Amino acid sequence: MNSPTAQALPERGWINEKIFLGMPFWEYLRSLATPGNFVAGLIMAIGVPLIAYRFIFGLGAATNLSQTNPWGIWIGFDMLSGVALAAGGYSLATAVYIFGLKEYHPVVRPAVLTGFLGYLFAVLGLAADLGRPWNLPVPIFLSWGGPSVMFEIAWCVVLYLTVLGMEFLPPVFEWLGWPKARMWAVRMTIGLTVFGVMLSTLHQSSLGGLFLMAPTRLHPLWYSPFIPAYFFISSIAAGLSMVIVESALSHRAFQSRIDHHVNIDKLALGLARGASIVLFAYFFIKLQGVADGGRWSLLNTGYGYWFLLEMLGFILLPSMLFAYGARNSRITLVRWTAAWTVLGIIVNRLNVSVIAMNWNVPDRYIPSWMEVMVSITLVTIGISTFRWIVNRMPVLRELPEYHES
Amino acid sequence: MIPHDILTLYSAKMLEYGIAVLFLLLFIPFWKYVQGPSRVPAFATSRAATPAAAAAEWFLMPLDRAFHRGHAWLKDSADGIVTVGMDDFAAKLVGPLSRVSLPAVGTAVGQGETGWRLEAIDGRTVDMLSPVDGTVVELNAALSSAPETAETDPYEQGWLMRVRPSRLRANRMSLLSGQAARQWMDETLAGLRGHFAPGLGALAQDGGVPLSGMARAIDAEHWDQLAATFLLTGKEDLHA
Repeated sequence: MNSPTAQALPERGWINEKIFLGMPFWEYLRSLATPGNFVAGLIMAIGVPLIAYRFIFGLGAATNLSQTNPWGIWIGFDMLSGVALAAGGYSLATAVYIFGLKEYHPVVRPAVLTGFLGYLFAVLGLAADLGRPWNLPVPIFLSWGGPSVMFEIAWCVVLYLTVLGMEFLPPVFEWLGWPKARMWAVRMTIGLTVFGVMLSTLHQSSLGGLFLMAPTRLHPLWYSPFIPAYFFISSIAAGLSMVIVESALSHRAFQSRIDHHVNIDKLALGLARGASIVLFAYFFIKLQGVADGGRWSLLNTGYGYWFLLEMLGFILLPSMLFAYGARNSRITLVRWTAAWTVLGIIVNRLNVSVIAMNWNVPDRYIPSWMEVMVSITLVTIGISTFRWIVNRMPVLRELPEYHES
Repeated sequence: MIPHDILTLYSAKMLEYGIAVLFLLLFIPFWKYVQGPSRVPAFATSRAATPAAAAAEWFLMPLDRAFHRGHAWLKDSADGIVTVGMDDFAAKLVGPLSRVSLPAVGTAVGQGETGWRLEAIDGRTVDMLSPVDGTVVELNAALSSAPETAETDPYEQGWLMRVRPSRLRANRMSLLSGQAARQWMDETLAGLRGHFAPGLGALAQDGGVPLSGMARAIDAEHWDQLAATFLLTGKEDLHA
């Protein structure tokens, strides 16, 4: 399985080549001294001890969670938003490998990597949120709770994280210089994509399905029997928007790593077209929920205005802006709209799980500074991991020797 | 079990049906708006970024053209009239030309139907397909005195005719541009390689420029049939 390069070079050379970007250790260390790394380091220096603090002293000491409000931003932001924004992985892989939209091939790898890291850090966020995360294998392997939505989510997330990891193997093997292993990994692509889209459909909607159990706790404007469909459909828009944002940032940040032959603007316009249609349909399905529950009168309340802001400002408006931007090739508008949509999805997931949850009880949940800091830390570690991988593996461009014609 | 009365129409249900119908009615124009003439501005960006032409390995393929699989190109202009010509591949395939027979001004042409005829210096002819539906409004008069321009400068001086399109948006669905066009040209080249006689030895595979009149170089006897196969006007293509 060893490549000729790996055999020819001594151990030290291989590590220098693959890990230290071809620099001697001290030079590599010096190259890390950048303002961005300093900020990331500072965040981690505060956040990592906080994570340790949470595990040593427990949830009660580190968070504002209570029996009334057991789910906070680690669920609403890290888990629900993280998983929704990671949907670019299955959306793009399906578009390229199943629907044959080959022109989007250049953005599949970054989308799959974003998806993989999104799920990984969602699971880490979940591990911080669970009272006893070391018991996670119990519902998965030992004590099956078939009728529980949570059981389905647990299995789906475990399987899909594995699928995403396997989908990302080709660039890993290319980086390691293992052509035979890479060939096998590439052959699995279609199967993995099909499996991945099945799993995503299941658990993206099940995450919404969790809230079917809380009809009295969730504000009636957000509660709807259609909530699994809302979660699934909005995840597609979230995933596409995230790919637009991520590709724009990557092309700015990794100038030396990108394939300059790829017209990323044109791909972004195509993705915007898709996101626009999805958001348009999503708006009307959400409207059906309001009509179905007969909730019109609630719109003229404080929560109603907030709901309208979400509906008009974060769903209908980006749908229109995407449509206008895609039609008229306004790439900057499309990118800002994508960022706005990402924010809108986060707002939606926080609305459902935190803001409109327990709206009618006096004991309101406001996250502690430690919860916020841990969430920021997890995002920072996620971005740093993304950078680490993109700087080493062929993610944003194809290696010529592996060019897929 | 809760009894259901399907004939009971609640006002909420009426509203839901109303929203569903409204959605469908709005969705159609919205879809059309989103899909819109997006390719035109896409061409505009390409034109700005790439002034002259991008080489797809062997053949010139300007980014501001849309290509038909019969190796004809189409270019938009602000007045709604499109310019039509043959691509570099067709030009080099058929080679030195003695005449280009174009339809008369006012003739209706149809996408995928025979549009014009090329006559090579040996007198043999090859038909080519029109990339667009519409009416011919202007011919390149320079070609009557200098037909070789169509081969030597197929994208600029050697344009063939200008057409007022009748259903350009629908026609665009069958045209290729950008990455898709390059990929199609690569596939065409792969098909062409299959025709190289072993005795021909090193041709363009070794990095050389494809020679003018490639079809004749490959099969001097039946070169016109070979060319027609690639230009999709061979007998089997027309009957297919």
